[in-house]
Amino acid sequence: MSSVQALKDELLAKKARLAELKRQNELKRKEVSNRQSISDPAQLAQASPLRGRSTNLGGDDLDDLVARLVDRPSSTAPGTPKSGKRSSGADETQSRAGAESTPQPARTYQDASTDTQTLSFAESTTVYEIPVETKPEYISYSKGVQTEPRRSPSPGEIGEQHGAELDGTERRRRRNLSQREVELEEEQIRQKLRAEVEEELRALQLHEHTADDKQRFPVRALAPEELNAVTNSNDFLDFVDRSSKVIERALDEEYDLLADYALQSRALDDDADDYAGHRRGRRIKEVASFDLADSMGRKRMLSSIDFSPKFPELLCTAYTKSQQSPHSPPGLLNVWNMHLKGRPEYSLHATSDLLSCLFHPYHPSLILGGTYSGQLCLWDTRTRHQRTGEPVQKTPLTGGRTGHAHPIYSLAVVGTQNASSVISVSTDGVVCAWSPDMLTQPQEYLELKSPNPSAYKTDDVAPTCISFPASDPTYFLAGTEQGAIMPVHRYDRAGAKAGVDARCQYRSHEAPVMGVDFHPARGKIDLGDMFLSCGLDWSVKVWRAQPPSSTSAATIFGQSEAVTPLLSIPREDAVYDARWSPTKPSIFGCVDGAGKLDIYDINASSEIPVASARPSHQEKDLYALRSLNKMAWEKNQGRNVAVGGLDGVATVFEVGPELGGVESKGDAWVGVRKWVARQGKMTTAGTV
Amino acid sequence: MQQTSPSQETQNLLARLSQRPGVQSTLILSRDTGAIVRSSGLVTAEDISEEGAAAVPTNGTYVNGTSDEVKTKGTRNAEEVARLVYDFVKSAGNMIEELNGENDESKLLRVRTKKNELVVVPDAKFLLVVIHSTPPA
Repeated sequence: MSSVQALKDELLAKKARLAELKRQNELKRKEVSNRQSISDPAQLAQASPLRGRSTNLGGDDLDDLVARLVDRPSSTAPGTPKSGKRSSGADETQSRAGAESTPQPARTYQDASTDTQTLSFAESTTVYEIPVETKPEYISYSKGVQTEPRRSPSPGEIGEQHGAELDGTERRRRRNLSQREVELEEEQIRQKLRAEVEEELRALQLHEHTADDKQRFPVRALAPEELNAVTNSNDFLDFVDRSSKVIERALDEEYDLLADYALQSRALDDDADDYAGHRRGRRIKEVASFDLADSMGRKRMLSSIDFSPKFPELLCTAYTKSQQSPHSPPGLLNVWNMHLKGRPEYSLHATSDLLSCLFHPYHPSLILGGTYSGQLCLWDTRTRHQRTGEPVQKTPLTGGRTGHAHPIYSLAVVGTQNASSVISVSTDGVVCAWSPDMLTQPQEYLELKSPNPSAYKTDDVAPTCISFPASDPTYFLAGTEQGAIMPVHRYDRAGAKAGVDARCQYRSHEAPVMGVDFHPARGKIDLGDMFLSCGLDWSVKVWRAQPPSSTSAATIFGQSEAVTPLLSIPREDAVYDARWSPTKPSIFGCVDGAGKLDIYDINASSEIPVASARPSHQEKDLYALRSLNKMAWEKNQGRNVAVGGLDGVATVFEVGPELGGVESKGDAWVGVRKWVARQGKMTTAGTV
Repeated sequence: MQQTSPSQETQNLLARLSQRPGVQSTLILSRDTGAIVRSSGLVTAEDISEEGAAAVPTNGTYVNGTSDEVKTKGTRNAEEVARLVYDFVKSAGNMIEELNGENDESKLLRVRTKKNELVVVPDAKFLLVVIHSTPPA
């Protein structure tokens, strides 16, 4: 098409002119670009040719802009009026249209050269509005050139779409009409022409636009410094953090959605460990293992572990300081996702070793941690920039009655959805209650003193673990380093002051008590007075707690009532933690120094565990640190058990339907009640 | 964490992602223009220009250099993939807009083929693409 050809020619001429301009502006631009800073790198990356440009553009953008203006579709029309010979009316009108649009880009460049700081000229030429706004000029100009082609028409150069117009001119010439008629006809032709040209331009633009998309994708490659700015921007870092998590979760999904069971017989690996029918319900299968990455600092010990009450796939683990990399933050708390293996969902930090951690039961995004320095930290996973991992709130370390000054080994949250408080206990016997909204000052402060100092020479009490009964938030049991388990009242009450209850003590452990756990009792029979304890004396004991309000004869004589455990299970190693299953009344688990997780069912056997397992990664290393410190049950279904120990690896096991899961046989509760009654009789008979 | 800069950390995340078993290539594009911000396991323009003679596709543009593990990966052209993915995301966006109205947008696109799977996470400013091989199904 000749018109297109002409357009291209004009374009070339225009390009040359622009190149000239560009060269002239080179120096100025260079020094300007040095001064200009890239304030929003992401915006840089986004900048597209058709988009308005903001003021903060780099030098490269200017170059880019020039280049784009040169060959952008809308500027194909511009041409100079003096360009070349005109052979046909069609070409002339085109050049006319070009001529009219010429001033605008030219002006743009004037702007660019004089005022490079504010490059607000982006609303550049649009082809359609030009002919409209300059209509009168159009007419006068066209008249001048219309005479030329009539003398030398060259039909070969004229496109088919101008055929009608050409016929008109020839016919008119042949008929030799009067001047007025000629003018009229000219006017008609001109209009027709204009319509055609516009149409053609539109088509051309459309065509070039689509062609552009294909040829020049991406619109431009990013320059190295732009790339740098983009990849260092917070937006980018956040995006990578978020999206890579999503992708890894997607890739970690083990189930093949497209599995077609009709197609081939799949390996029945599920039945491999199902060697005996009755074993199936009691199997323990390792499902996940979370090791610390090098970047978090190796050689940390896992000090606490907890499942999220809201999201059963999340668990948090607290760690002590790294022995290997002293520059990493001492306290580390990771939130792991069972569906995201190999990296934590969140990684949170504290300024001192973390010894305890807890998901807030009523605010699933809040995580509590107790440190070795005596600080209680609160993290919120909603904070936007978790990359720093700083807690959102910390308790003061000023001493006095404003908080703890000793390690916090035990944390608990009591209360209800609307009114809950965090209870923290440090090893110097200080009990503090906090509101999660304000950690600057404890709501309550209580110092525990031993009621009969004669037994220990001092009245110090060093609690290592606590447990609240499900029904009473004002009273808890504290296992101590002395081996006794003491009931503690948070408030003064009739006949007793706040603090350690003098009336009864649970003494049977001969070494520090490492774990105390009240029965969760969510069934038809209330077993909430049962609790479990374990200690460094290689034993696990099941107890029945005395009602906290009972007034027995012992109080009168000032002696504590000796309570004996219902059951004492001797073990072959120190037992570091023991927990009731949250759903099955007769099931509890414990972890020991040999690195074994044992699950007991007191309905089945009170002597040997019904199931046991070891983290598989320990088998590879003969001299590995095997000891397991903590265990936690998944709170809603009770199907998963997480354990962790000295090697800092958290391992999650899935237990069979007999050991976990919500549906429990009705006689399990009755069975436990009967067992308690039987054991109670036996122990009283034994002591008497 | 070690005292790593945030960008270093991001670097590590991406390296981790690209080195996962099965992952063939990763690509980060700018959402608006489709400009390539980051890629691995793809033949980029740089690779072609730098070692066009050697004709050995390197395994990405990471600064920390995973190029020593030159494998059979990197058979696709980054720009080509970027263009195709970009168009795909755009058209998916159009579909969603017409289906659910203006206020909706795509959050995750997974395309499973006979040969591999494409996972795209579109975000406000960027989009991340991972191509990984899947077990033959």
